[in-house]
Amino acid sequence: MSVSEPQPSAPADAPARPAERPHPLTPLIRGWVVLLAILIAISKEFLPNGSDDGFRLPPLTWLFGGIALITVAAAAVGFISWRFTHFITDEHELRIDTGMLFRQSQRIAYDKVQGVDVVQPLAARMFGLAEVSIDIGSGARPKVRFLTLSRAHGMRDYLLARAHGVRPAEVITHAETGSLLTGLSGHDQVLVTVPTRTLVVAALTTHELLTAIIGLAIAAGLAAWVGHPWVGLGIAVPAASAIFGLVSSRVLKQFNYTLSRRSSGLRITRGLTTLSSHSLPPRRVQAVQVSQSLLWRRLGLYRVDLEVIGFSISDEQDSDKVSSIMLPAGSLEQARICLDAIWPQSGWEQLTDRLAPSRARWLHPLSGPFLRWGHDGRFVVTRHGWLVRRWQVVPLARAQSLSVHQGPISRRLGLADLRIQTGGHQVMVVAEGLNAAELATELPQLCQLQRARVERDPTVGPAPVSFAELAQAGPEAVRADQAVETISDSE
Amino acid sequence: MSELFTVGADWQRLPSNAASAKRLGALAINLPLAIAATVGTGLLAEWGWPMWLVAAAGVAWTIWRVVRAGRWTRSFAYLEREQDLLITAGLWNKQFSAVPYGRMLSVEVQSGPIARLWGLASVEIVTASMASNATIPAVTAETAAGLRDRLIAAGEAQALPL
Repeated sequence: MSVSEPQPSAPADAPARPAERPHPLTPLIRGWVVLLAILIAISKEFLPNGSDDGFRLPPLTWLFGGIALITVAAAAVGFISWRFTHFITDEHELRIDTGMLFRQSQRIAYDKVQGVDVVQPLAARMFGLAEVSIDIGSGARPKVRFLTLSRAHGMRDYLLARAHGVRPAEVITHAETGSLLTGLSGHDQVLVTVPTRTLVVAALTTHELLTAIIGLAIAAGLAAWVGHPWVGLGIAVPAASAIFGLVSSRVLKQFNYTLSRRSSGLRITRGLTTLSSHSLPPRRVQAVQVSQSLLWRRLGLYRVDLEVIGFSISDEQDSDKVSSIMLPAGSLEQARICLDAIWPQSGWEQLTDRLAPSRARWLHPLSGPFLRWGHDGRFVVTRHGWLVRRWQVVPLARAQSLSVHQGPISRRLGLADLRIQTGGHQVMVVAEGLNAAELATELPQLCQLQRARVERDPTVGPAPVSFAELAQAGPEAVRADQAVETISDSE
Repeated sequence: MSELFTVGADWQRLPSNAASAKRLGALAINLPLAIAATVGTGLLAEWGWPMWLVAAAGVAWTIWRVVRAGRWTRSFAYLEREQDLLITAGLWNKQFSAVPYGRMLSVEVQSGPIARLWGLASVEIVTASMASNATIPAVTAETAAGLRDRLIAAGEAQALPL
């Protein structure tokens, strides 16, 4: 069910579209959030908290009157802010005007758009509305909230097409309505889905949960030793809530995880209460880590994490928290599909062909047999870890710098570690226990990071791009290619 | 033994007075720390033998750092190549790093009070990665200025968007 709706081919000097307003239900949804916050605050304040004297409710008329007053005030504020919010998709920029007393006009040039996410918080989802959140490379994301879902999708497609440098007259937006649960539509080619059962099993067996439980057990043991139950309670309650939070975030936020491919790029859709749909620009991926914890080895589960520059900066209160998880849990086959989707023909598994020399076991007694690495001009792949096994793939075209480290014991054994620094700090790429003599002969080749950047970019395609060509095309050519929807996660 | 950290004849070394600056810097940091640790232990252990143990350890550590400063400074070398800067340093924990000019975000030249006594400055290449450690700790002010200008020029010529 896709209705194509060509953009009006207006002359260049006239605005392409008239000013639009968010959906009229917007103040209601925002008011609902306010009401919910008040109710939670009140219930925290007045619910019995164990002591008898604290439980004294004010007269009910006061209470309800107060709530009604605040709700009405919030609704009025919401209505006014809705009344004065306009957005205009102009010839060169998106304008968002807000505020009655303090007027604010945000202008977002299309060529600055890095990515566009469509997020549906629970309240908005009940009314079929969605929020459009625009990534312009800085921490704060301009937002248009709330639009009907089809308009939000249309706006995303329009912004992305413009960011890619498509002329306004050529943009054709597909006003489409996806499935209510997954947000997918017929345009998407589904690559990976994670069933809920796998998510729950994975969340219950992850090493993070195991560490939390072990920590809890130690705390309980300490409390028993000290002999005062309050000490134990003081530790157990936050720990239990942390464990619950971990499991629920892994299950709720990743619920119905789907990786799909469409013409505009890769896209990840996930979330139970808040459905978020965002795409993954392979150009911005700095490094990938596939990991497998102790229990997951039995279950054959793997997790894929991404290092995307700028994404590790999260702003919790603004619900812009960005997840670095590409695949929450899946089989090896699914992990392969994920990696192939970003970097086709990376051959990351075949690349880890160098075993660490057996003398490396003196220094890495537990992980020694597992240590491996390899490289082919385009990628460096390493394998290390004992309790949590990690495969790390980094394209040399994305490396910021590389370094070699050798301690006194390593020097005796003729070993060295190779580290590759990438933008961000989610994935620390390291190859441990390498044969120092072998590395010394290959180091000159590995050090050619600048050439790798220009000639061997895995996302540019098989045809090597010459430096002169790139320089001629200017930075716009690269940036336009970069402007794809971004992967992010919000609740 | 290994050729990983071999330094060719074309590599640049730090000026000889960099060792003196590093020695004074080590003294300026270590001595107050040693004194504080000694007094702290003295207060806890009622001026008994643990205090003297800590004092001895502090003095030994300071002397060790001051003595090693010369060798460490001589171990440091850097090489400006066409497309990247190579740095190698370290006595026990040896380190080699390569930073391409194209990834450089900025160049920071710093000169603290101790370094200024000898007319020295440090030059740091800042990349998008926090972990990149490309700092030349002490060169003469003129070298630092020249290095900065060359690095910026090379960075501009070779920069590509992230």
